[in-house]
Amino acid sequence: MKTGVALSIRGIRKSFVLSHSGAASLKTALLWWKKKNLERLEVLKGLDIEVRHGECVALVGRNGAGKSTLLSLISKIYKPTAGEIVVDGRIAPLLELGAGFHPDLTGLENILYNGMILGLTRKEVNERMPAIVAFAELESQIDTPVRGYSSGMMARLGFAIAAHVDADILIVDEVLAVGDYAFEKKCYDYIDQFRNLGGTILFVSHNADSVRRVADRVVWLAGGEARMDGGVDEVLEAYLAAGESR
Amino acid sequence: MVADLKELWRFRELLWAMVERELRIRYKNSALGFMWSLLNPLVTVLVMWGVFTFLLGNNTDNYSVYILAAYLPFLFFNMSLMDSAQSVLSSLQVVKKVYFPREILPLASVISNFIHFVLALAVFFVFLFGVWAVNGFGITPFTWKIFVLPLLLVPYLALVTGCALLISALNVFYEDVKYILSVLLYLLFFVSPVMYFSETVRASTAKYANGELIYTLYHLNPVATWLTAFRKVLVPEGKIEVSIEGVATKVGPDPFNYPMVAVACLVSFGMLIFGYWVFNRMKWRFVERP
Repeated sequence: MKTGVALSIRGIRKSFVLSHSGAASLKTALLWWKKKNLERLEVLKGLDIEVRHGECVALVGRNGAGKSTLLSLISKIYKPTAGEIVVDGRIAPLLELGAGFHPDLTGLENILYNGMILGLTRKEVNERMPAIVAFAELESQIDTPVRGYSSGMMARLGFAIAAHVDADILIVDEVLAVGDYAFEKKCYDYIDQFRNLGGTILFVSHNADSVRRVADRVVWLAGGEARMDGGVDEVLEAYLAAGESR
Repeated sequence: MVADLKELWRFRELLWAMVERELRIRYKNSALGFMWSLLNPLVTVLVMWGVFTFLLGNNTDNYSVYILAAYLPFLFFNMSLMDSAQSVLSSLQVVKKVYFPREILPLASVISNFIHFVLALAVFFVFLFGVWAVNGFGITPFTWKIFVLPLLLVPYLALVTGCALLISALNVFYEDVKYILSVLLYLLFFVSPVMYFSETVRASTAKYANGELIYTLYHLNPVATWLTAFRKVLVPEGKIEVSIEGVATKVGPDPFNYPMVAVACLVSFGMLIFGYWVFNRMKWRFVERP
């Protein structure tokens, strides 16, 4: 069990180029190569958050507040425009369950490749294979191509793989609202167990109930900055009040 | 760039897994499966042989062997670039959700095509052996030059990888790239000695005052130099003759043109470094593609 700072986000800024024309083409690039005054959208404007090992932090905020951008930055999918993110330990990003599944490959094959994309070695995936299949409750269909799976089955398989990555830090982006009630309960049980073992969680949710159930600290993002950072009830109350008065 | 290479090395196991995945996906829904990797070159070899023997009525023995020795490496170049052009774009959904070194995607395309190329070479050698047996042992299937082949594959692979990295990165932002690519590859097929020989070029440029210059410029294209080198390494001295300034010259027997091979080496490894440099500059913006 690790102690100390798990995640240190210092002065993070992120801006994106705004596009009005859809997909870029070579023609526009050639015609407008001198035109550097592209419109930029600053999503995060200097954010500082520190998460300690064993903490469970919920990010709340309106659409476009930068929650998903922040999670992507932590998962090393984006490079920050400025600032620095220091991570201590292994991250399991659950930004989308089953991203990268190939429809023509079987469940087992997808477990192998997806597990390896998430950072496991081949040996590690093979050791965990039975546990993953059992967790996803897909024993009878694991040898068939996943194109025949329902969306709930896909999500179960995706969560099962991510749950067996043995991460120190779990990054969750609103993915728990999938599957049936029984599976949702299983996911929450897993998260409780993960927390009891000293794991760190950073998650985005629009559901106040799930925030209250899991989190022990809430950060409210607004306009690319942390508007409030503190205890669950205190921040949620202010956030919900702001939403109603709008 | 060194840091990027270290990161890639850390993920080497994933690279092999992605190669394996690519090979599995390709034949997933076909009954013959991996057999297609052998059947494709086999069909190519037989078609070439049939066309050159019966339809073109070429009375030179084993003409198809000489064509294939350059056609198979060209096919590898062609297929690798076509596949890798789409590699990043078609995996953009994963790239947006999970971190791993992005260069793994085009590299996996190149390596899986390289495996097919090696299999095709194996089929080619069997064919060569058959030709040797049928033609009354008139043509020796292997010479000592076969040991040069690995040395040739390294810079050629570097060239293909460099081009693949460059094109896969550009294609994410400008989808015109893949259309331009298919036109360029079509053009390359004709300005490279695939269906004719380097010696043919020398023969037909000899009549010009600056023929030597044209011949040299022609071989600045590294693909041209490498295809000729493949031909010299893969097939032994044959009976095909090209008349250069009135003197009949056999195709294949003369030694490497070392200065040209040196230039091609330089261009190939330069292309690898340039392609990787461009890829690394662009790879963080793949997910921010407008």
